[in-house]
Amino acid sequence: MKIKRLLTILLLLCLMVSTAFADDDDWYTYTYSYWKEETASPNAYSVTNTLYGMDVDPEIGNLSDPRGLFCIDGRVFACDTGNNRIVEMYKEDGQYKLARIIYQLNVSVNVAEKMMYEGKVDNTLFQPTDIFVKPITKEQRELNFGTKYIGDPYIYPDEETTEEPGETQQTETPDAESGDTEEGGEGGESGEGGEGGEGGEGGEGGEGGEGQTEAPKPQQGPKKENVIRQQLDLDYDIYIADKDHNRVIHCDYSGNVIGVVSNPKDDTLPENYKFRPNKIVVDNALRVYAQAEGINSGLMEFDKDGVFTGYVGANKVVISLARKIWRKLQTREQRQRTNQFVPTEYNNLSLDSKGFIYATISAVDEQDLWAGTATPIRKLNAMGSDILIRNGNSFPIGDLNWSSKLPSISGASAFCDVIAFNNDTYCCLDMTRGKLFCYDFQGNLLYAFGGIGYTSGRFTRVTAMDNLDEETILVLDATRGTITEFSMTKYGKMINEALELYKNGYYDQSAEVWREILQFNGNFELAYVGIGRALLRQEQYKEAMGYFESAHDIENYSKAFRHYREEVVEKYILYAILVLAVLIIIPKIIRKIKKVRREIKEA
Amino acid sequence: MKRILSAIAGFFHGEWWNHYIKTLKYAFYVILHPFDGFWDLTHEKRGSLAAANTITILAVLTHLWDRRFSNFMVNNTRWSQFSIWLNTLGILVPLLIWVTANWAITTLMDGKGRFLQIYMGTAYAFTPYVLIGLPMIFLSNIVTKEEGVFYTYFNIFALVWSGFLILCAVLMIHDYSLLKGLVAIIISIVGMAVIMFVVLLFFSLLSDTVMFFVSLYKEILFRIG
Repeated sequence: MKIKRLLTILLLLCLMVSTAFADDDDWYTYTYSYWKEETASPNAYSVTNTLYGMDVDPEIGNLSDPRGLFCIDGRVFACDTGNNRIVEMYKEDGQYKLARIIYQLNVSVNVAEKMMYEGKVDNTLFQPTDIFVKPITKEQRELNFGTKYIGDPYIYPDEETTEEPGETQQTETPDAESGDTEEGGEGGESGEGGEGGEGGEGGEGGEGGEGQTEAPKPQQGPKKENVIRQQLDLDYDIYIADKDHNRVIHCDYSGNVIGVVSNPKDDTLPENYKFRPNKIVVDNALRVYAQAEGINSGLMEFDKDGVFTGYVGANKVVISLARKIWRKLQTREQRQRTNQFVPTEYNNLSLDSKGFIYATISAVDEQDLWAGTATPIRKLNAMGSDILIRNGNSFPIGDLNWSSKLPSISGASAFCDVIAFNNDTYCCLDMTRGKLFCYDFQGNLLYAFGGIGYTSGRFTRVTAMDNLDEETILVLDATRGTITEFSMTKYGKMINEALELYKNGYYDQSAEVWREILQFNGNFELAYVGIGRALLRQEQYKEAMGYFESAHDIENYSKAFRHYREEVVEKYILYAILVLAVLIIIPKIIRKIKKVRREIKEA
Repeated sequence: MKRILSAIAGFFHGEWWNHYIKTLKYAFYVILHPFDGFWDLTHEKRGSLAAANTITILAVLTHLWDRRFSNFMVNNTRWSQFSIWLNTLGILVPLLIWVTANWAITTLMDGKGRFLQIYMGTAYAFTPYVLIGLPMIFLSNIVTKEEGVFYTYFNIFALVWSGFLILCAVLMIHDYSLLKGLVAIIISIVGMAVIMFVVLLFFSLLSDTVMFFVSLYKEILFRIG
């Protein structure tokens, strides 16, 4: 009996374990059907790489709580927030390689006072949360910012070693692995060698360049030296959100500080306001837009010189009627307690190729999401109004079903980052479930993928992402310190192709591609609509109606039906008139005949 | 064979049949003259249960056909989740509960109507729903989305009309004043909720009890084995 019992328990355990594993067979990539059901989809992106800092270069070590990621022209800039540094990598032959690690920036005497932090010049980074790289030519830079920022390096007063300022010197730094003292002279040929970055003393490095600044003196003890593996002089300006130093640093590609955005002055800001820029973008007019902590009036806008000019995209507070009535019923104390009808903060932003800002808001009310009044993702124009098109079956809010197989996860999606592609599709990163949601320019969900977990393509805590090119997405996992590379599959490329053709008016060609896509994914409603529209243009109304019905596109079905009805009416109108005529005329004739007969009889 | 045929023929010419047709036709009078109509329906015995059953069945069919045949643009039926029985019961069960609740309430409120009379009145009140709903199914198939608002409006109109008729039925069958009738209807609706609650409770308790005995049986087997 005892054995039997044991066996039963064992069996039960087996059953439990097997069901636990069986739970994991949910789709990796999916879309939502018209009925808001998850439907399986082929993978639009597949994981092609999971980068640990260690694997890219031992010098990087582990990324600690990275928060920001920026990609441009095959170069990847990661904000290693926990380590107070920026890691720059580049992709070569499918391999990611370290370009440099930025711990500190070069400050010339001309800009030294801008870099003041707590009474002294501080050129290090302290919890940098975001980075933005802006392509800019030398001429443009000189036109906009002059050349004043280039000058003698600032000499730090509390430095023990007081050598001649002009020449860079080998200085003993207690714990910095590299004794390399020159890191700024981008013209120098040195710096790309050696593991520790000890490319010898580039004493002449500063002068070798185009008259740019010389390297500043190395910092006090605990400060770490920059590591330079690849020395380039690119036409880029770098903007770094140096959050805990309360500033946004603007420097050229070599790290020479040009300007600093800090201490915005405005009547709307409190007296002792501490500027804590979290995320930044820079538009074509070199205006800086910052999403700052504690600011709920929108994004802060600064002109190119770092002067605060106002807010963009302020959130309106909308109080529902029910809440208004409820407030009327409350006592004064209660009302005061619940007075916080503050608009929600943005939490990330990114710039598309046409200069529109995509901004995400994670702190949205779930009730509002249900009601469709919350907009967790916005596209802001220059006026700051939301111009995102939301024509899909459901609004772009991420997951539509909030229950989860993982019991620890609940609630709506919370977007923490967004990337906009050149074809106006955009992907949002959901930190609740570690998923990516990609929408087309009309707001239709194209595909969603990702998830929480430890397998490749799943995440523990996502913080940021960016697109390396139009077909590669990099996603940052802050807890694991990894960068996951997703590359578009054939399926994803086909969708992009079909959208592109459709947007440019090649409806027939796009229908061809949509038909191919249907071979991959018969559940994809957007494909049916695409084919239906092409058929509509080809005046095949009946067939078009079928496709629209499959996709539950009532609007287009109605259009097709109107034409189809016309067709049918035109086809049969003659018969109908004939039949009517016959029905009217024949009785008349009969009556006439009867009358004549009667008359004949009477006669 | 001949006898059966003649029996059938006799049936269709018989007194019962004539009465049935007459009472069914009376529905047209009732919907246009609700006060007179419902008074005579029961007090003058101008309605019949057979006609009431017919109208109820037609109402159920109208609902089902509406789900099945009305145009896709106005028809949001999710076929994978559609059940013909659930839809049928979705009308019949509330009807039964309504009649029961109303009968129970009006018995306490000096209502003159009996159970079957209440059922008859309610069933006759469904007539506009059938009369308007059936043509609307056809109409929905020849209109576009913009013209489809007519479908919606007419259906709403039919429901309002039916609702008004139910009110009239309650007033006339129980010989109530307007206020008392309204109160009776509201209490009946509360009563419906109570009935549903009790039924649910009953079934939940029943299933618990059954489960208890099942598990007891299993446990005994387990112990013996």
